[in-house]
This record gives sequence, structure tokens and C-alpha cells, in this order.
Amino acid sequence: MAVTTRLTWNEEKRLQKLLGNVSLSLLYQSSVHGCSIKDMLARCSCQGSTITVIYLGDNIFGAFLLEHYPKTVQSVRKQNSSFFFSLQNNKTTAFLNTSLKITDEELAFHSSNHEEWFFSLVPKKHKLWLLHSLGKELAMNSYHDYSYRECEVFRVEGIKNEANYVSRITGATEYRNMLLEHLRAYKPCVDLVPEIRILLLGPVGSGKSSFFNSVKSIFQGHVTRQATVGSDITSITEMYRIYSIKDGKEGKSLPFMICDSMGLDEKDGVGLCMGDIPHILKGCMPDRYQFNPHQPITSRHSDFIISPSLKDRIHCVAYVLDINSINDLSSKMVVKFKQVQKEVLNCGTAQVVLLTKVNNYHDVLQDNFLNMKKSITSQSQVINVHKMLNIPISNILMVENYASVWEQDPVKDILILSVLRQMLRAADNSLEDLPLSETGEILGQSELCM
Amino acid sequence: MAMTTSLTWMQEKILQILLRGKKFSLLYKASAHEFSPSNLFEICCNQGPILILIYGDHVIGAYVSENCQRETPVSILLFAFQETEISRCKIGPYEPLKLFGGNVCESNLEFYINLRKQKVTMNLKLIKILNLPECSNISFQECEVFRCEDLLDTRKIQGVTVLRESLLSALRTYKPYKELVHQTRILLLGPVGAGKSSFFNSVKSVFRGHVTHQALVGSDTTGITEQYRTYSIKDGKDGKSLPFILCDSMGLDEEEGMCMGDILHILKGHISDRYQFNFTKPITPGHGNWNDFPLLEDRIHCVAIVFDANSVEDLSSEMVAKIKRIRREMIKCGMAHVVLLTHVDNMALIRKGDLIDIYRYMPVKLKLEAVHEKLGFALSDILVVSNYTSEWDVDPVKDVLILSALRQMLWAADDFLEDLPLEETDIRSKYLTRCAREENDYVNP
Ligand SMILES: Nc1nc2c(ncn2[C@@H]2O[C@H](COP(=O)(O)OP(=O)(O)OP(=O)(O)O)[C@@H](O)[C@H]2O)c(=O)[nH]1
Ligand SMILES: Nc1nc2c(ncn2[C@@H]2O[C@H](COP(=O)(O)OP(=O)(O)OP(=O)(O)O)[C@@H](O)[C@H]2O)c(=O)[nH]1
Ligand SMILES: [Mg+2]
Ligand SMILES: [Mg+2]
Repeated sequence: MAVTTRLTWNEEKRLQKLLGNVSLSLLYQSSVHGCSIKDMLARCSCQGSTITVIYLGDNIFGAFLLEHYPKTVQSVRKQNSSFFFSLQNNKTTAFLNTSLKITDEELAFHSSNHEEWFFSLVPKKHKLWLLHSLGKELAMNSYHDYSYRECEVFRVEGIKNEANYVSRITGATEYRNMLLEHLRAYKPCVDLVPEIRILLLGPVGSGKSSFFNSVKSIFQGHVTRQATVGSDITSITEMYRIYSIKDGKEGKSLPFMICDSMGLDEKDGVGLCMGDIPHILKGCMPDRYQFNPHQPITSRHSDFIISPSLKDRIHCVAYVLDINSINDLSSKMVVKFKQVQKEVLNCGTAQVVLLTKVNNYHDVLQDNFLNMKKSITSQSQVINVHKMLNIPISNILMVENYASVWEQDPVKDILILSVLRQMLRAADNSLEDLPLSETGEILGQSELCM
Repeated sequence: MAMTTSLTWMQEKILQILLRGKKFSLLYKASAHEFSPSNLFEICCNQGPILILIYGDHVIGAYVSENCQRETPVSILLFAFQETEISRCKIGPYEPLKLFGGNVCESNLEFYINLRKQKVTMNLKLIKILNLPECSNISFQECEVFRCEDLLDTRKIQGVTVLRESLLSALRTYKPYKELVHQTRILLLGPVGAGKSSFFNSVKSVFRGHVTHQALVGSDTTGITEQYRTYSIKDGKDGKSLPFILCDSMGLDEEEGMCMGDILHILKGHISDRYQFNFTKPITPGHGNWNDFPLLEDRIHCVAIVFDANSVEDLSSEMVAKIKRIRREMIKCGMAHVVLLTHVDNMALIRKGDLIDIYRYMPVKLKLEAVHEKLGFALSDILVVSNYTSEWDVDPVKDVLILSALRQMLWAADDFLEDLPLEETDIRSKYLTRCAREENDYVNP
């Protein structure tokens, strides 16, 4: 005899993903272990976080409980953060801090103020009673009492950061999709600029090319390797690239471009040439220009863009840094950064910092994903960068790029997309701030050229 | 008390091998569920085969291979860990309640656990067999019970089969980016004996439904590839050609082996099928296998750099330098590339069940890190497979690995095609001008 779950392997994997790449251990199966509440509690108490999975024929309904199942029936209602999900349509609905009441006959979930009842399980009758609106929200069929075939309980292991787990899981996918919609609908504030150009600048190996790949992967829906990434003593990226990104594999181009450059090196004559930076910022550097660490591009280069217009310019610079390297950045590198920044300030381009390789990325945003947490923005790396470049803390952004096997993670996506949104906002701000004369001047120049 | 096991990864792996491919789900942990035999039985009866572990100075365990119930006598496999070695013996049949119930003081039992007192008692003979220090009462601090399931049970095999079908259909219906080419060309490149030819054979086998050996493989003279081959693969025996071509090349070597020059010519599409490599010098224009005007169609669209997973750490520094040089050349011409690690089935301790979730398997994760460290490839660009070599029949678990790797290569090729500058993708007009020129040549010789 073997006790095996009724979930197919594919369903199990989807469930693990839905719950944030956790692992599941089957503890109880009603058809084998007896269907009474007592049988269930005997096997499921003191097991940590659990999910209770109910098989309804064509749909799977489940409830996540953050804290232990109690040892015995308890008529007093007890607080226990939880949320509900239905697997068929990958929908989760949050009901935070529900209270759980367990009697000999039923398992009942109420809102924590005890006013609203959500659902009950009556194992002896194999019945599930569901609040009508809850069933609707989970897109289950419209009856509110269901007969079920089987009930299983699993222990959930591998939850990262329990404190905001419930809100993160229940809200993340929705917020991610909302952000994605938002960025798809984005339009630069100045009509003259059809696409915002974001330039990535930073030391060798800081994750510039990976950031582009990550953004593109999200919009494309599967992993992309368009920009070559990797590690070596000198920069892997040797060519200036202006990447445009499509919405979906064959969709229309999105209104932003990511410009990837060669890594900066503290030594002169290695890495991106300082003299190239003003040309890049002004939009004179052509796509696919092969960098020369010893010499900047000159106007004699055959593809040199002699009179770039406002749309060719860089609208936002992101200084890309590995967050783990900041506290021991060499003084030479700091000097170089300040030089770069001088050029950027000269051109009046918007600037942000992008910190990559943030391992604890789950912990960066507040529960509602709207802002970074204070505890994160007050860490020494952020303070140091802030002091070094005098960039407002709200423009010191963080991501974890897709750098190993691509397992889509809504929280990673949220950070990447939020960062992109901040960059676009910064670009818009500085475009609005542009003196009319300057837009005019550049316009005039380009018209002259034509 | 958190419900996580105290077992190390290595111990778990050794047990998995001892018990022939089992996976363990923790059900009971004494520190969370009290040192109480009745709790243990309440949680762990009727869970199928179970494994009981006690942690003291040594880790000692008992495996019940049948469904465990209080009073049904079962035979039991006892074992004890000495570092990574394990000693074992069979006892019983006994009633589990007597062995683990602990309230009995029957001296005739050779082994029993007193959970309340946190002591194990066993006779001298057993102590000897299990290589434990001579002491009849061994105390322990923790006790855990696991349900044992087959790592590869029918449920998983079914799941893998479903996945295989969906991958197969995705690859059959794959179309190169914007249909710029009819078939995507993937070049297999790598040290001698890495498994390049075997990967082609594996892909062909998956689509054929049984193992085939079209490309000769192996380390004797006939198995060493010395000819450039471009293989198109049919879907099934008589089906139509699949939308990709695998190009098999001569192995790289510190001294002999394929020339750098030839690699570049292959990438650009100058070398045609069945070119006989000459390791002393690269091909020259005018050779019968030289193509003067390669189209986008003839070029390579993705390179897979193949290594034997078990010997990457031992690559010589000359070889590493060579690989890095090749990578630089590929970066220069915008060539998409991935790394393919073969021979994962030969890694120490690995079992077939581990292949179904290979990228989460700890030694493989460490291997990817090692390749990243040594050669500088990004983790996301490293793929693993186990090629078909000695078997007759294909197997869904291996198929899924092979097909997933192939799909990643085709995605990389699409990235390459998308990344091409416009003037290079405009092949049709180029092709037409060339045809026109040839026609002219023909008219006025
Ligand atoms: N863990 C982790 N690794 C990252 C992240 N970003 C990049 N990497 C890895 O860091 C290495 C360098 O990344 P790249 O994107 O090539 O860096 P780059 O800034 O473009 O470097 P150059 O082009 O060489 O100047 C690669 O192996 C990436 O996989 C990240 O956010 N997290
Ligand atoms: N166990 C195992 N053996 C493999 C695997 N891949 C290849 N082999 C064996 O490794 C040996 C070399 O494989 P080949 O495919 O001939 O290697 P190659 O890269 O084509 O070698 P050359 O053509 O000489 O450069 C053969 O004996 C194969 O059977 C694998 O994934 N697992
Ligand atoms: Mg780069
Ligand atoms: Mg070969």
C-alpha cells in the first residue's frame, strides 16, 4: 500500500508555483485516514503551515493556514492568517487573519471580526459550504454547497519571509499584471519623443545586460538571451546596443528602449572609454558601435549621428551596481563614477541607481508593493550610494535579475517592472523640465539637417 | 518547533540509494509532537512504508517496508550511519507497537525504542553488526518518522509523459523567428568526446521513438568525428523534416582538433555538409565544400558548447583559454550560445529519479556554479542532459531533458535572428540579386 496524493504531477507543480515555489508534504488523506475531524487533527496538528485541499470533481479548492492546526477541537475561534485558492483557474483570494472554529462536526472560517462567515467543511457529509461571493471570486461554479470526493492536507515548507507571505502571495500576481498593463499603456509625456531611451552604465559584470534580458523576458513570456551575459575580466558586452522591446513575441514595440554599454573599469584604457559617454548621452553614438577602450568615437566614424534630435538622446541614465560590491567599491571606481556623473549632469539627463543581485528581493517592497521598506532603504549600501552620487533615495532602485534557471516569480517581476516605471517617471520629469529653447534648438538643428 | 528534518542532504541521499529510490516526507518529529508513542502511531500508521530515525551520537534508523500498523508484525531493516557509511541488518517480524511503543520491558526483544525515556535498547549482536559503541542503552535527542514514496512513481511518470508530449508538439510546430529561415541551425561545439554526436543521436532518437545511432560515437578512431555533418531530422520514420538542423563538428583539442579558422567559417555558413576537417589548416576558398555566398539560411543561428559534466573541472588552462577565445569571437558576431552539459547520469550518487527535477538537484546546482566560475558562462545559459548511449528504448524522463534543452537552443536562435541588423535579415532581396547575377553570368559567359 502506498499513500499518494490525487494531484497530478502537473497540478502539484502549479500549486507549488502558486504558493511561491514551496515544497509540499502530504500528511493526511481522508479516504485512507478516515474522514472525521478527529482523524484529520490527529495527523495535521503541530505541523506548521498547511494547505487543506478539497477535490470537487472538476476543480480543486484549497485553504492555506499560516499557523498550526490546533491539537483538539476548539469551540473558541482562533486567529490564523489564511487565504483561499482554486487551482483550476489559478486564482487566489485573500482573507487575512480569518478566525478558525473547529467543532466535532465542522471546520469553519470566519472573518477575524467574527461577523462574516466564509466557508465550512463538514467532513462526515463530504460537504463544502462556500460563501456565494467567494465562490464567484474564485470562478467556481455557482452553487454554494459542494460535495467533495477527497480532502488532503499538506505541510507547506520553504516559505520565505513568513511575515508578509500571505499578502505577498495573494496580491503579487495581480499587482504584477496590473504593472504590466500600466507599462504597456505608457506614453512619454513629450510628443517629440516616441520612445524613452534608458542607458545602463556601470562596472563590468554588474548586471546591465541581464537587466535588459530580464525586462525583455517578462514582456516576451519566456527566457531570452538576446544580450550575451557572463563573466570575464573584461566586459562581455563590447558593442553599444539600443534595444527595443516588443510586447509579446511578435507584438508591437513598446515605448521605451534600453541602451546597453560596455562595463566601466577602474583602469584607463580598459572598459568603456570616458570620452564616449557624452556622445552616448547626446545620441550621437549609433546602434552596434564597436567600443574601443582606448579612443572615443569621433564624428569621422561612418555611422556617427551628427545632429541627433531629442528623441535620439538618452532620457534616463541608470548607474548599475552589484549591491554586494558597494561597501568595498575601490576609490578609483568612485572617482570614475563621479566623472561619469559630471557628464550626465552636464547634459541634464535624469539619473537613477539600479542595484542588482539583491538576494533578499522578497523583502524589498512593502506588503502593498507600492514602496520600498524603510528597513531596506536605510541599509548601509543604499546610504553609501546616496552619499556617493547624491541621488534621492527614492531613485535608488533594486532588482534581482533572472540569472539562473528561469522560474517566473511574480515578486521578481514586480521589482523589475516597478524599477522600469521609476526610470520612465524620472525621464518624464526631466523632459518636462527641459527649457523650451532647448527642445526648439535641437528641433531646429535636426530640421536644418533634413 | 519547525517541522524540518535534521537529516543532512548527504544522509538523505544515502538512504534514498539504500532504499532503492525512495523519497521521504516528514510526518512526525518528536520535538514538535512530543516524545509520545501514541502520537507517533496516530500520525504514522496507515501511511504506507515508513522510516523511523533517531538522532543521538549516531543516526540510527528502522525501515518498515510494508504499511505500518500497530499490531501487524512486519520485518524491519535496521541501520546506523558511520559518517557516510551505513551498516544494516534485518530483524523481525515484530509488531511495531512493541518495537516503538516503548512501554514493554521484554528482555527477549533484540531492539526497541523507548520514546518517553529517549533511549534505544539493543542486544550486543546487533550493536556489533551496526558498528555502534558497545553500550546497550543508547540515548537520543530527536526522533523523526517519514513516509516513503517512490521517487519515480506512476503519478510522476504520467506527469513526465504529459510534459514530453507538450514539448514534442511545441518543437514540431516551432517556426524560426519571423520565418527568416526555414530551418534553424544549431552547431554543436566542444572538446573531444564531450558527447556532441551523442546529443544529435539523442534528439533523433526522441523523434524516432527508439534509440538510433546514426552518428558514430565513442573514443576509438571510428567514433571520433572528423567530418562536418549537418543533420536534418525527420519527425517519425517517414514524417516531414523538423524545423531545425543539428551541425556536428570535430572535437576541440589543445593541439590537434578543429582550427579556430574553421569555426568562424562554419558560423558564417561557408562550410558545407561532409567537409573533411584538417586540423593543421583551415579550409580555403575554392575547396569543394566552400560556399562563397552563404545565405542567412546557411549560417549557424545558435551554438551549443558541449562538455562532459564530470570533467569540466579538469579542463586544462589551454582549453579554457581556447573556449574563452571562441566565446569572444561569438560575441563579436552576435552569435547566441548556450552550454550543454552531458553525462549527468554519470555524476556521483545521481539516480534516475533525480533527473525529473534536475535543476533543483543540489550537485547539479553546484556543477553549474563550477562551470560559471571556471568558464564565465551565465548560470541561465547552462543546460544539462543525459544522452542515449547504451539503451534500446527511449524514456520519457530523458526525453524531457533533451527536448527542454533543444527548446532553449531554439529560443536562443530566435534571439539571434531578432538581434540581426535589418540589412542582414533582408535575405530575399539579397538572394534575388544573386540569382539575377548568376543568370546574367549564364547569359553572357
Ligand atoms: N544572482 C544574480 N546574478 C546576476 C544578476 N544580474 C546579473 N547576474 C549575473 O552576473 C553576471 C554578469 O552579468 P551581466 O549582465 O553580463 O553584466 P554586465 O553588467 O552586462 O557586464 P559586462 O557587459 O561584462 O560589463 C552574469 O553571470 C549574470 O548571470 C542578479 O541580479 N542576480
Ligand atoms: N553515460 C553517458 N555517456 C555519454 C553521454 N553522452 C555521450 N556519452 C558517451 O561518451 C562518449 C563520447 O561521445 P561522442 O558523442 O562520441 O562525443 P563527441 O563529442 O561527438 O566526440 P568527438 O566526435 O570525438 O569530438 C561515447 O562513448 C558516448 O557513448 C551521456 O550523456 N551519458
Ligand atoms: Mg553586458
Ligand atoms: Mg563526435
